Amino acid sequence: MWIIIILIILLISLAAAAFLWLRPATGERAEIWVDGELVRSVDLSKIQEPERFTVETDRGVNVILAEPGRIRVESADCPDKVCVDAGWLSDSAAPIVCLPHRLVIRLSGDASLDTEVG
Amino acid sequence: MRRAFALALAVIALSGCAPRAQSSTVFAMDTVMELTAYGPRQAVDGAVSLIHEAEDRLSVTAEDSDIARVNGSGGGEVDGDTASLLKRALELCKLTDGALDITVYPLVRAWGFTTGAYRVPGEEEIGSLLEKVDYSAVTLEGNTVTLPEGALLDLGAVAKGWVSDRIAAGFREAGVRSGLINLGGNVMALGKKPDGSDWSVGIRDPFSEGLLGAVSVRDSAVVTSGGYQRYFEENGVRYCHIIDPRTGRPADSGLASVTVVGAEGVLCDGLSTAVYVMGLEAASQLWRENSGFELVLVTDGGEVLVTEGLEDVFKPMDVYKDGEIRVIRRD
Amino acid sequence: MGVRRLARDAVLTAVALTVFVVELQIPELVPIPGVKLGLANIVTLVTLFTLGPWDALAVLMARILLGALFAGNVMALLYSLTGGLLAFAVMTLMRKILTNRQIWVASVFAAMAHNVGQIGAAILVAGTPELLVYLPVLLVSGIVTGLFTGLAGQYAAGWLGKNLRKTDGK
Repeated sequence: MWIIIILIILLISLAAAAFLWLRPATGERAEIWVDGELVRSVDLSKIQEPERFTVETDRGVNVILAEPGRIRVESADCPDKVCVDAGWLSDSAAPIVCLPHRLVIRLSGDASLDTEVG
Repeated sequence: MRRAFALALAVIALSGCAPRAQSSTVFAMDTVMELTAYGPRQAVDGAVSLIHEAEDRLSVTAEDSDIARVNGSGGGEVDGDTASLLKRALELCKLTDGALDITVYPLVRAWGFTTGAYRVPGEEEIGSLLEKVDYSAVTLEGNTVTLPEGALLDLGAVAKGWVSDRIAAGFREAGVRSGLINLGGNVMALGKKPDGSDWSVGIRDPFSEGLLGAVSVRDSAVVTSGGYQRYFEENGVRYCHIIDPRTGRPADSGLASVTVVGAEGVLCDGLSTAVYVMGLEAASQLWRENSGFELVLVTDGGEVLVTEGLEDVFKPMDVYKDGEIRVIRRD
Repeated sequence: MGVRRLARDAVLTAVALTVFVVELQIPELVPIPGVKLGLANIVTLVTLFTLGPWDALAVLMARILLGALFAGNVMALLYSLTGGLLAFAVMTLMRKILTNRQIWVASVFAAMAHNVGQIGAAILVAGTPELLVYLPVLLVSGIVTGLFTGLAGQYAAGWLGKNLRKTDGK
């Protein structure tokens, strides 16, 4: 009986994971959020040369590398390096997360904007 | 083959000439700031130190800032930069007939917006604090400021706009012809984008996480103020962070969001607060009687209005895409 | 707590910590926050099913607190605490309805609960609802790792159970 329950949960989770992760990304704009606040957005479709910048908080530093159409965390001083290991974010709806630094990089929004107010 | 080689060399040489984007993210003045300059790295580094200097001088909470010293002793001599900002700020208070008032700080503090310990002050408390709010009683002679008894200065409503002006000037001096400065919602677009097109600045929807629209600008500041940015709720009533200097209470003018577009950052910054306090009618009047700025207004009912000068450069987005945009004209 | 019980729980904590620290040395297999084998849970499982919830809770708490110090990542303490306690609650509740041959079931559900708790805490603390995307993946990984540690724990409990009880002197 238990095997069946576990198998059902496994199947539902697999289906949900496949749906969430294989879902195409919604935008060409990468947004970098720290602590629930949008600190920077990069239009990946307009980048011609690799652009490197650092996001520094009192928790630590993430060095982010943006290239045409994709973005990644190149290095970070967080303890787990999960954000670095996540590699390029280009066409998946799953964001890059650096939990120790509370940093999230995700694709979304309108690619035509250079910045935002409000 | 040789020609191809020469061509390749030329392409490499040309691409080497195009200035690269230099950027920096700064956490200062209680917000996140983003600077991008197509030009020398020093320009951005200079801007970063300018931001920190300005913060040290203008902060109302830092103990040894110019403003804190003046507030502590009822006056005194300030730095030349601080004095020139103060002068411009007082002009803006006059221009807006006190809808912007740099002496409203005692009330902002009483409502708890300086510390986050929010509260609704009593009728009497508001009344007695209001007596101390009067920008016209502040005098500035040379670099010497004199405050009336009990008055407190706060340049928070104009400081970021002023800093964006200073950064833009510094960028120009350093030979930067294209750049984008976003000081936590105070945007200054310098020149055009490297590809020759205008900068596109998105404006947030005051009622959702989405966008209201975008304005295409060059050599222009874009500043938004709105009660949705910071507020607290008590007994089901929402109290926003922009205090009307004439009532001592959170502004309730029927506007949900105000965006000011113009060449001068400090003007746009100060006016965004003032217009939010004034409301639609007085704002339209102010716009008709003055030049140098344009407005995007959203009413509490969700109506969107733009002044004539923005008619062609404002593009509504998301839920506003197919809605009606009213244009305010000079008649 | 008697000396005998104290010493026995201390030994179990030491075993759990050793396993925990050894696991830290294994490189991350998948770049998703929260996906790991959770080998130290074998010890919690064995303790729970042989000695009961109070000893298991003591061993678990000591392991989490000391483990965070060893890992040098006190930030993550909150996440593992939430996950660990939720997993413990699930295991303790399921213990009543499971036979000794179904210990692995408790482990699977505990691993899932652990991951749900961890991600829930992270979403609340870090204000990053984006993490919810990882939930299905973490559930799948919870089932796989929970099965592995569960079977390991079930065999260990089978062998160790009698011996541990003997030292109790009852």
